[in-house]
Amino acid sequence: MVGALRVAIAEDSAILRDGLVQLLVDRGFAITGAVGDPEALRSSVAQNPPDVAVIDIRMPPTFTDEGLRLALDLRSRHEGLGILLFSQYIETRYAAELLADDAAGIGYLLKDRVADVSDFVEALERVAIGGTALDPEVVTQLLGATRRTDTLSVLTPREREVLALMAEGRSNAAIASALVVSEGAVEKHVANIFAKLNLPVSENDHRRVLAVLRFLES
Amino acid sequence: MAEPTDDTGVRVRVRGRELSLAISEEHAVRLKSLAERIVREPFTKRPWAELAFFLVSGGLAGLGLAFVGATMVTGVVLAITFFGLAVLALSVRSARGIGGWQRGLARAMLGESVEDPEPFAGRRGFLGWLQSSLRDRVGWRAVAYLAIKVPWTFLGVLVAVSLWWDAFACLIRPLAGPGGGGPQVWGLAGSIFPGSSFWFQSSGFFHEVGIFILGAVFLFAAPWVMRGFVNVDRLLVRNLLGPDPMATRVRTLEQARTQTVDASAATLRRIERDLHDGTQAQLVALAMRLGMAKEKLEDTDRVDLDRVRELVEEAHRGAKEAIAELRDIARGIHPPALDIGLEGALATLAARSAVPTEISLDLRSRPTPAIEAIAYFCVAELLANVAQHAQASRASVSCAQQGTWLRLVVRDDGRGGAELSRVGSSSSGLTGLTDRVHAVDGRLHLVSPPGGPTVVTVDLPLSA
Repeated sequence: MVGALRVAIAEDSAILRDGLVQLLVDRGFAITGAVGDPEALRSSVAQNPPDVAVIDIRMPPTFTDEGLRLALDLRSRHEGLGILLFSQYIETRYAAELLADDAAGIGYLLKDRVADVSDFVEALERVAIGGTALDPEVVTQLLGATRRTDTLSVLTPREREVLALMAEGRSNAAIASALVVSEGAVEKHVANIFAKLNLPVSENDHRRVLAVLRFLES
Repeated sequence: MAEPTDDTGVRVRVRGRELSLAISEEHAVRLKSLAERIVREPFTKRPWAELAFFLVSGGLAGLGLAFVGATMVTGVVLAITFFGLAVLALSVRSARGIGGWQRGLARAMLGESVEDPEPFAGRRGFLGWLQSSLRDRVGWRAVAYLAIKVPWTFLGVLVAVSLWWDAFACLIRPLAGPGGGGPQVWGLAGSIFPGSSFWFQSSGFFHEVGIFILGAVFLFAAPWVMRGFVNVDRLLVRNLLGPDPMATRVRTLEQARTQTVDASAATLRRIERDLHDGTQAQLVALAMRLGMAKEKLEDTDRVDLDRVRELVEEAHRGAKEAIAELRDIARGIHPPALDIGLEGALATLAARSAVPTEISLDLRSRPTPAIEAIAYFCVAELLANVAQHAQASRASVSCAQQGTWLRLVVRDDGRGGAELSRVGSSSSGLTGLTDRVHAVDGRLHLVSPPGGPTVVTVDLPLSA
């Protein structure tokens, strides 16, 4: 890695904000700003652009979806800025809105995920370099919400597992280690899924996510 | 004689003498003003307005009753046919309209402030209209009004209006000169002195003077007799043409229910916020620290024990804080102290208060759980307000049973100036309390002049 990844944090709970800073510094990230409300993050990002911004969804002043609005705004202003949304709850609507045009450099995780420090750091790194990180919960909800369950029934249970992990934004190698199988086996499953669901084949990780999500949403 | 302020007995005695003097003086003043009023009354506007109202509204009520009565009889006679029901419905609807005019007259001529009843709400379709019209309580009450009002008007004309007439008949009689002539008396005077009695037939100076004096007496009595009749009429208007008490009650209950629902929704929202911002964040931070510690321990080559210890310590502290917060939130939902009864719970609250608080309790029967909870939260909120805003050095809480009511009084010696609207900027403020109290038909009363003291009185029904 060339230099430390730079991270900005917007989180209104001081306890969590301090904890995140501590954790990320511990893991060798550089913190460009740790603030408690959307406006402060806007100016922080403008002054000292990070590689990735970690944003709480519920923030002042109304404690509804300020973080999501902020994320969409930052995306349109700063090209290539990774966004990791961080929330106590998963709202499928937010995920859909966020992923509407491009899943590159987008993450949406439950706050609980920081407890598994390595997974969290990995997801953050993935988002920072333009990948995708969706919470398994998001994927489950999307899989559950889709009316295409009939179509999904053409998949074997194993293929569904692979699909879920793919939707989270994991690479074939990561899927292989998660399921404890060889990378070759995963590639075969992925090819089968693409074929069965008529998804366009693509190399890039986040393109795969996008393809999966497009299919699930439609 | 001792100074009045030095000796209570003397003061009382002195005062007693002054008082008895004052009373007789007061009597004289009162009698004088009463006499002046009686003399002046026929020459003021009010009795004439009342007379005019009685005649106009009585006449219109007569016409109204004739119409309503005729249509109603027709309707009943034809009731076996559908047409009869329609006529009956029309009759009730027109009674409502006539009632409206009567109400308008009472407002315009008597200044009677009677509210409009709830507007007619006809259901869809002809059948719906028919049903709503026949069941229109306002319409039927207007029918009852007309049915009472018309005989009352007759009686009033015989007794009170005739008195006015007789007064003038007697007063102008002497002008007609000896030997009779001029208007005849009737009504009361006529029945006391039958038409051909010597009082009115015979001439003579003393008789003329006597008749004139009688006319003056009638003149001064007439406004008051008339007022008696009009006051009964006012009562009728208020009770039969105003809003239906049942409908009013339903509306109050509906409002109260809305408030309850809003209040409980607000409570749930507050609890969710407390959980989200407090406990959940605490637990996430806790899990994060433990996760970091765990990973540091897994790196077996070089375990940074100091750092791990630090992390575990922080996690431990966080866990304890989360427990405390959770306990506070749970207490906000249902105070466990209430399980042992309101008295114990209030005593606990008073003991925990930041401002030294005295408590006095006088409860003979136990209120229902809902009332106990509201009483508890009221006292908790009010004591919290005292601690936060009042800059008080002492506070007191009294909780006493008065019949079927529970009266809570929270008093402090602080700087005062509390206002329902200003303090209630958040849903948990005084306004929130007022909503809670209103939801069970209770009352909250705040007295807080600038400079203090602040006294908040809450009355709650024992059961709700």
